[in-house]
Amino acid sequence: MARNAAFAAIAIAALIAVPFVAPHAEYALDVLFLIFLYGAMATAWNLVGGFAGQVSFGHAAFLGIGAYATAIMTQNGISLWISVPVSALLAGAYSLVIGIPAFRLRGPYFSIATIGIGEATRLIARNWSSLTGGVSGLTLSSAPPLLLQYFAALALLVAAVGLAAWIRASRFGYALAAVRQDTDAAETLGVATTVAKTQALFLSACILGVAGSVYALHYLFVSPDSVFGFSTSIALVIMPIIGGLGTVTGPLIGAVIYTFIREQLAATLANVDLLAFGVLLIAIVVFEPRGILGIADRIRRMRKPPAVTVPDG
Amino acid sequence: MADPILEGRGLTKRFGGLIAVDGVDIAIERGEICGLIGPNGAGKSTLFRLISGVMRPTAGTVTFNGRPITGRSAHDICVAGVAVTHQIVRPFRDMSVVENVMVGAFFGHRPRPRGRGGARAAAMEELEVCGLADRAESPARSLTLGGHKRLEIARALATRPKVLLLDEVLAGLNPTETDRTLDLVRTVRERGTTIVMVEHNLRAVRGVCSRIVVLVEGRKIVEGDPDAVLTDERVVSAYLGTAAHA
Repeated sequence: MARNAAFAAIAIAALIAVPFVAPHAEYALDVLFLIFLYGAMATAWNLVGGFAGQVSFGHAAFLGIGAYATAIMTQNGISLWISVPVSALLAGAYSLVIGIPAFRLRGPYFSIATIGIGEATRLIARNWSSLTGGVSGLTLSSAPPLLLQYFAALALLVAAVGLAAWIRASRFGYALAAVRQDTDAAETLGVATTVAKTQALFLSACILGVAGSVYALHYLFVSPDSVFGFSTSIALVIMPIIGGLGTVTGPLIGAVIYTFIREQLAATLANVDLLAFGVLLIAIVVFEPRGILGIADRIRRMRKPPAVTVPDG
Repeated sequence: MADPILEGRGLTKRFGGLIAVDGVDIAIERGEICGLIGPNGAGKSTLFRLISGVMRPTAGTVTFNGRPITGRSAHDICVAGVAVTHQIVRPFRDMSVVENVMVGAFFGHRPRPRGRGGARAAAMEELEVCGLADRAESPARSLTLGGHKRLEIARALATRPKVLLLDEVLAGLNPTETDRTLDLVRTVRERGTTIVMVEHNLRAVRGVCSRIVVLVEGRKIVEGDPDAVLTDERVVSAYLGTAAHA
């Protein structure tokens, strides 16, 4: 635990130093920014999909609400100090509206319902033109300085991963783990399972709401098919699975791999990145469902055969 | 029985056309070990589910400590003080033995234990009682069937129940494990926990229970002193499969 904290502190210090050491490496800073943003989003998804085992295919809805809320408020001259927290809370409020009915469903039925919710939300954004600008979306005029964006995304990532690490070791974390492994048994041991799931979804949605703000201010453009798109929801599922579902650092590792594949392959040949993700996903599900961290754990065991250890990414 | 700790009145559960539990009245006395027996499909486990809040009864009421608990959620009822073990064991498979028990300590226990250390200490106490302390750090899935059954009991005990419903904790155990588990049941009863146990092992029931309730086809047919009940001709015929309507 202390070693993990020390490692995290060194990593954060190094990432803070990067823009000062290499102020003109704009491409590198841009890639790091994307990794931070996707890492925070994947970590947020993992609170619900990994920790609590409630796999959602509709999480883009929360990102989209955060992005649109910030875009609309910024267009109306509202300060970021107000618009960013309000975006988080709007996404959180939306999670309660959909979570309370959706959590009456279990397992695959919940997952299917989230596809419907995500798509319905996208269609609302497309058709509520007076508020959202419809299909053509909303455009913002000026972005905050890249340095500020970089640190905002880093802060969001650190907050998200820190929250995940804290939850995992807490009473709440035990509730989510119990829900994931056997919801009925958890219920008979006193765990208010629906409340626990709803709380996890709320926290997850709030983080995605802030991620939406950061997204809108970076790209200066939000449209229904980008922020509310099904492919965004799928990306949020893929990253934690690649890295290690239900672990603290897995989603971040997944975000690094995801961002590199997308940056490298999408630039060379259209849609090759999708093929790569498909192959990667199948390989992981077939060979090592615990993802990259599971592979790392296997290597550790091969080196040190007698030790009986439990992975605790 | 002047002041039962747990009481069901007219409990009924229908699944479509099937009546699994049919108007059962049952009263559990403070501090007793009550056996609940009957042939397969008699509705014993369903009755437990109705009492513990896992299922809502179609009709009837459940009262615990004089207060109605009918229709309350399973976690509420657990926190109030009625714990249940599962006939088919349901460990949290990715957790260690002690972590499984910590879930009960964290959530079923009032006042709440202080942090992870508090929950862990409470869990270790129950593992000690259940003879699993030396397996505390093992993965739950590595236990034998006997170990799993004791883990079910340890988890339920960690919620500090006033009434413990044991659903076939002896099924599948060898004679040594059976004796060990029966000793555990007596120990728990001496701590002041009231016990209701569904059991097919009639010798064990006779050895440990102070009273027996017999269910057949969803109805209560006899209750009372173990020796009297087990020699009752209606019970004998129900078990031997001859006409049950003597």
